[in-house]
Amino acid sequence: MILSLALWVQATAFFTYLRGSAYTYPCILALHMVAISLFGGMILMTDLRLLGLAMRGRPVADVIDQLRVPKRFGLLLAVTCGVLMLCCKAEEYYYNPFVRAKLSLFVLLIVHTLVFRGSVYTRAAEIDRAPRVPGIAKLAAVLSLVLWIAVACMGRGIGYIEPPWGIHAAAPAVQAPVLETPRS
Amino acid sequence: MIANPLNSSELAFPILECIHIVGFALSVGTIALVDFRLLGIGMTRQTPLELARDTGLWTLAGLVLMAFSGLLLFSSDPDMYYNNIPFDMKMFFLVLAIVFNYTIHRRAVLSGSGGVREKMVGVVSLALWMCVIFGGIFIGFVNPTLDINRV
Repeated sequence: MILSLALWVQATAFFTYLRGSAYTYPCILALHMVAISLFGGMILMTDLRLLGLAMRGRPVADVIDQLRVPKRFGLLLAVTCGVLMLCCKAEEYYYNPFVRAKLSLFVLLIVHTLVFRGSVYTRAAEIDRAPRVPGIAKLAAVLSLVLWIAVACMGRGIGYIEPPWGIHAAAPAVQAPVLETPRS
Repeated sequence: MIANPLNSSELAFPILECIHIVGFALSVGTIALVDFRLLGIGMTRQTPLELARDTGLWTLAGLVLMAFSGLLLFSSDPDMYYNNIPFDMKMFFLVLAIVFNYTIHRRAVLSGSGGVREKMVGVVSLALWMCVIFGGIFIGFVNPTLDINRV
C-alpha cells in the first residue's frame, strides 16, 4: 500500500520535474539545511538552557516561551522541504534504511513531546521558581539533544544508500551535463 | 603521495558531515537568534546585546567545530574542491560572513538602538549565512570535469 502510494507520488508531473531539475532540487535541499540551522540552533539553546549550560542568566520561561513559535516556523520549513525531497524518489527511499530510521526517530520525538510537554515545556515558570532545574526537565533536554542529533545524522546517511536493483526507479536526478574529455 | 587516512574508512566522511551539520546549527543558529532579535523577532524580552553575550561562546564553539570538520572534509579530495565554483563562492561568503559578524554586526548589537540600520545588519547577516549554506549544498551538484575544462 505504502509502496504503491510511493510509486504514484513520484510519477506525478510535479515530482518528475523536481527530480530532474538541476537547480530547484538543490535549492530545496539548501533551504532544508537553512531550516536545520535555524530550528536546530533554537533546539540546542533550549536544551542547553535546561541543562544549565547556556543562557544561565535568563529564566527558562523566557527561552522556552519566546522560541516556541519561531521553532514551529523552522520545523515547518524543514518538514516541507523534507517531504518534497522524499516524494521525488519515494520508491527508492521506501527501501532506504536511513529513511526508515529517521521516520522512526520522528515517532520517538512525538512520544517525547507527548511525555514531556505537560511536565516540562508548559511549566517553564514553575521550573524557574524551583531552586534547581528538576531532573525530569534535564532528562527531556538530554533526550531531545540525542534524538535531534540522531535525526540529522540519519538524514545525512540517506544519500549514501544505493537504491536496490530491480526497482522501477524513474530517471535519477539530473546534474550538470557530463562532458567527457581525456584528462591526460 | 601520502595517503589521507580519512579515505581509508567509508564512515569517516559521513561522520564528519554530521559533525559539520551540528557545528553550523550551533553557529549559524545562534547568530540567527541575534539577527532575528535585531529585526524585532523572537527573543524580544532580551536585548540584542544580552542575547549576543549569552550565545557568544556557543557561536564560537560552533564555528570551531564547523571549521575543523570542514577542513578535514576538504582534505579528503582537495583537487575536487579546488575546481569547484560553488566551493569558491562558499569560502568567499564564509569569510565575509565571519568578518561581518565580528565587526559591523557586533557594532550594531552594541549600539542597541533597534533602528533601520540595525535591522539592515540583521538582514545582511542572515543573507550572508544563507549564501554560505547554499554554496555548500551546490558543491555536490556540480560536475567537476566541467570546471576542469574551463580552466
